[in-house]
Amino acid sequence: MYRKTNLSRVAAGALAAASLLASTAAFAGEVTIWCWDPNFNVAIMKEAASRYSAKHPETTFNIVDFAKADVEQKLQTALSSGTTDALPDIVLIEDYGAQKYLQSFPGAFAELSSKVDFSGFAPYKVQLMTMDGAVYGMPFDSGVTGLYYRKDYLEQAGFKPEDMQDLTWDRFIEIGKQVEAKTGKKMLGLDVNDAGFVRILMQSAGDWYFDKDGNLSIENNAALKAALETEQKILQANIHKPAAGWTEWVATFTSGDVATVTTGVWITGTVKAQADQSGKWGVAPIPKLDVEGASHASNLGGSSWYVTAGSAEKDEAIDFLNEVYAKDIDFYQKILTERGAVGSLLAARNGPAYSEADAFFGGEKVWQNFSDWLAKVPAVNYGVFTNEVDTAVTAHLPSLGQGAPIDDVLKAVDSQAQGQIQ
Amino acid sequence: MNAPRFFSTALQYVFLATAAFLSIFPFIWMVISSTNTSIDIISGRTGIGEAFATNVANFFTQVDVPLVFWNSTKVAVLATLLTIVVSSLAGYGFEMFRSKARDRIYALVLLTLMVPFAALMIPLFMMMAKSGLINTHIAIMLPTIASAFIIFYFRQSTKAFQTELRDAAKVDGLKEWQIFLYIYVPVMRSTYAAAFVIVFMTNWNNYLWPLIVLQSNETKTITLVVSSLASAYYPDYGVVMIGTILATLPTLLVFFVMQRQFVQGMLGSVK
Amino acid sequence: MAAGKTGGLKRYYDLNGWLFVAPSLLLIAIFLVYPILRSLYLSFFSGKGMIMKFAGFGNVARLWNDPVFLQALTNTVTFFVVQVPIMITLALMLAAVLNNDKLKFIGFFRTAIFLPCVASLVAYSVLFKSMFSVDGVVNSALLAVGLVSTPIGWLTEPFWAKVLVILAITWRWTGYNMIFYLAALQNIDKSIYEAAKIDGVPAWARFVYITVPMLKPVILFTTIISTIGTIQLFDEVYNLTEGRGGPANATLTLSLYIYNLTFRFMPSFGYAATISYVIVIMVALLSFLQFYAARDRS
Repeated sequence: MYRKTNLSRVAAGALAAASLLASTAAFAGEVTIWCWDPNFNVAIMKEAASRYSAKHPETTFNIVDFAKADVEQKLQTALSSGTTDALPDIVLIEDYGAQKYLQSFPGAFAELSSKVDFSGFAPYKVQLMTMDGAVYGMPFDSGVTGLYYRKDYLEQAGFKPEDMQDLTWDRFIEIGKQVEAKTGKKMLGLDVNDAGFVRILMQSAGDWYFDKDGNLSIENNAALKAALETEQKILQANIHKPAAGWTEWVATFTSGDVATVTTGVWITGTVKAQADQSGKWGVAPIPKLDVEGASHASNLGGSSWYVTAGSAEKDEAIDFLNEVYAKDIDFYQKILTERGAVGSLLAARNGPAYSEADAFFGGEKVWQNFSDWLAKVPAVNYGVFTNEVDTAVTAHLPSLGQGAPIDDVLKAVDSQAQGQIQ
Repeated sequence: MNAPRFFSTALQYVFLATAAFLSIFPFIWMVISSTNTSIDIISGRTGIGEAFATNVANFFTQVDVPLVFWNSTKVAVLATLLTIVVSSLAGYGFEMFRSKARDRIYALVLLTLMVPFAALMIPLFMMMAKSGLINTHIAIMLPTIASAFIIFYFRQSTKAFQTELRDAAKVDGLKEWQIFLYIYVPVMRSTYAAAFVIVFMTNWNNYLWPLIVLQSNETKTITLVVSSLASAYYPDYGVVMIGTILATLPTLLVFFVMQRQFVQGMLGSVK
Repeated sequence: MAAGKTGGLKRYYDLNGWLFVAPSLLLIAIFLVYPILRSLYLSFFSGKGMIMKFAGFGNVARLWNDPVFLQALTNTVTFFVVQVPIMITLALMLAAVLNNDKLKFIGFFRTAIFLPCVASLVAYSVLFKSMFSVDGVVNSALLAVGLVSTPIGWLTEPFWAKVLVILAITWRWTGYNMIFYLAALQNIDKSIYEAAKIDGVPAWARFVYITVPMLKPVILFTTIISTIGTIQLFDEVYNLTEGRGGPANATLTLSLYIYNLTFRFMPSFGYAATISYVIVIMVALLSFLQFYAARDRS
């Protein structure tokens, strides 16, 4: 769509000619999509596109692959500049940021309530993309969490798969100590620059940085407090391998240095990419916090598709999303099998792929488990400032390790967050 | 040779050798890493591996290498040439035709060095969007052409330009632009060479602005490709290392080819 | 030189003078001055994204109650105060040694030490991240020679993360500064050194009392350029810490904070623009101070 911009408006002479050399001609009905992760979102969108193109050969797709931070930065730049020319037709947005975009740039995204039947999706997904009663996105993958563990290491330490079910975090730490004593392996990798672990724990107890009305809730947040306490216990028990950033964190388990991973289901593809570890992994529900409302189900990340309101191919884009993501059950089976993507269309769970046993996980029916847990994920209000508060929490993770009292940490997080969300 | 002199010389060699080793080591590490698999790289393997061919093959299947290189080269070369032309004109102009007004303006030009790019991003993007230049290579080049630093560099170097040459040419009836073109430019060629090296490296390595402006795979430059490979959910570090090598080779090449003129040109700038 | 000309000739010169500088001035006006002014205008507004309202000096008041801003300011000043002197001293020493004609392989050493400047910031950040990871080659080497007993958390501990950023910038830019000094040194008459040597002035004193004063204008110039670069530090910390400035905001710089406020958080352009003016003012003050200090001593 931006290619159709009339360059002749600008007297740029020879330079313009030079730059045109690199651009290709625009096709009628080309839908441009921005997303990240070639092995996951990009590949899945390509599959979706080929399914739609098969029925609608006049529609073509231009799926652009950027790093996640780059997609967010481009989207925000384009929206801020107030020009729709620079935007794609469809963009992937992580669920935490959905309300931020919807509320800061009203009118930037197409309302889908009248065109899509949202009753078939996991309610927490629909809720996070709703503003003033209208729904603005197409729910995509879920970040339902699980406890991935190395059966071989745990067995060496004297634990069977049954011992990994229905854990509490205190028990998890106990096991971690024994695993290290017997195998020399750390229990988990922790990214010191990311509060994802805290978010998983907090949401498992049905709470978030904000209350139902979107007000900041830090100092009296029992779930957050328990989550931070747990992270502190882990840091002090020294059963973790520290990592700086995503790549190092992923390496902690792909290299076989740690015994467990607690994260969203989308990591499955990465875990399974280590073919030599086949049969060595199992998946259990995540351990439980010791607070009211605590559960074994939580969520980390997950994202959804949004159609830009100014898109020239708006109707086509909406029809495409509706045809594939809201109706095509077979599509969800394929992306589950090939990419480990658990969609949020509930009907997809009845498809054949979900009940299959996975040899990589020693024949466990992991997908059935994940979809059971998905239904139990507590819905919380991600609000508009999740990034800001998350940064505040991240900034105070090192002081947790140094043994700072949790109430002091909460106070410090609160004060930083207050400064950020004006 | 007496003993203190010997020690002092030895010390100087040790100092230089240490500095040289530390400077070069990351480049060597880059090459070593490119022969290892992703897992070996992250777990700190120090030896030479056997994955080089696989990494190269993977890089070439994941990236449209000729297109990406063409984009980078086009942007870097054009932007560099334009920068040098425009800035040398200004450097010459500010030094040769001094007036109170222009000296004040020159001071203002130098002040622009103080503005962080972060402060310009949003307004610049809005301008480019309104002109319909988003996702074009012109949009990357335009804001980089007028560089206060390079204007300063040319003005400093122009101080060493012998005004007698200009006076003689004027007697011969040459116009100012002819003097600039036929006398100044050839005389100052090493200054131009040094400027070319510096500006080319800046443009080739430019990251943040292209990242904001370029929207499609067809317009991406090599730095964007490398950063996007490195920040994938599951980056293949072997492939990333091939990318870093390919991204570094052209600047290395430019530097080695123009090294002699570069050093000469720098000499002129600090007289 | 041409400033003294008078009469009709002057107008002629004037026209040429303006023509030569016009393309640059035009471009600077459009792509620098206008955006700067636009940012200034924005700094008087606050709000979420595009919904902005006039806030007067509200953004300035917000600065003092924002612990993250204060931390970013402290970090930026720390990087500047620690890194610039180290780098300038190192570059001067290297240049002084390389200026010694009696040493062999000068060309090789000079090229080698300049080499880091050709590395692209993305490439070198990726490299440094892998070299300085917990299991990386640097920790392996330090452990092997027994300098440390446990791996250093270069990117996981606030103190070491700062050290890593300083190491990285120093690696990237020392050779660049050195080239300026080397060039300046070669313009100094060698006989001054010979005379001093005959008078029995030791090498360190020749460096402090002859080399440094002779290079003062270049040192001033590189110091200002380095100050500007360090105060605007963005690329390195962005790429080393996945854009977060962690751990514990230890490597968050003002530019990175501006970036986060613009692109990662609920966009507050007004507040971000206000912080960018803090950078402008800091650089202006420091440049002035450096000019003043240099003038004072002469």
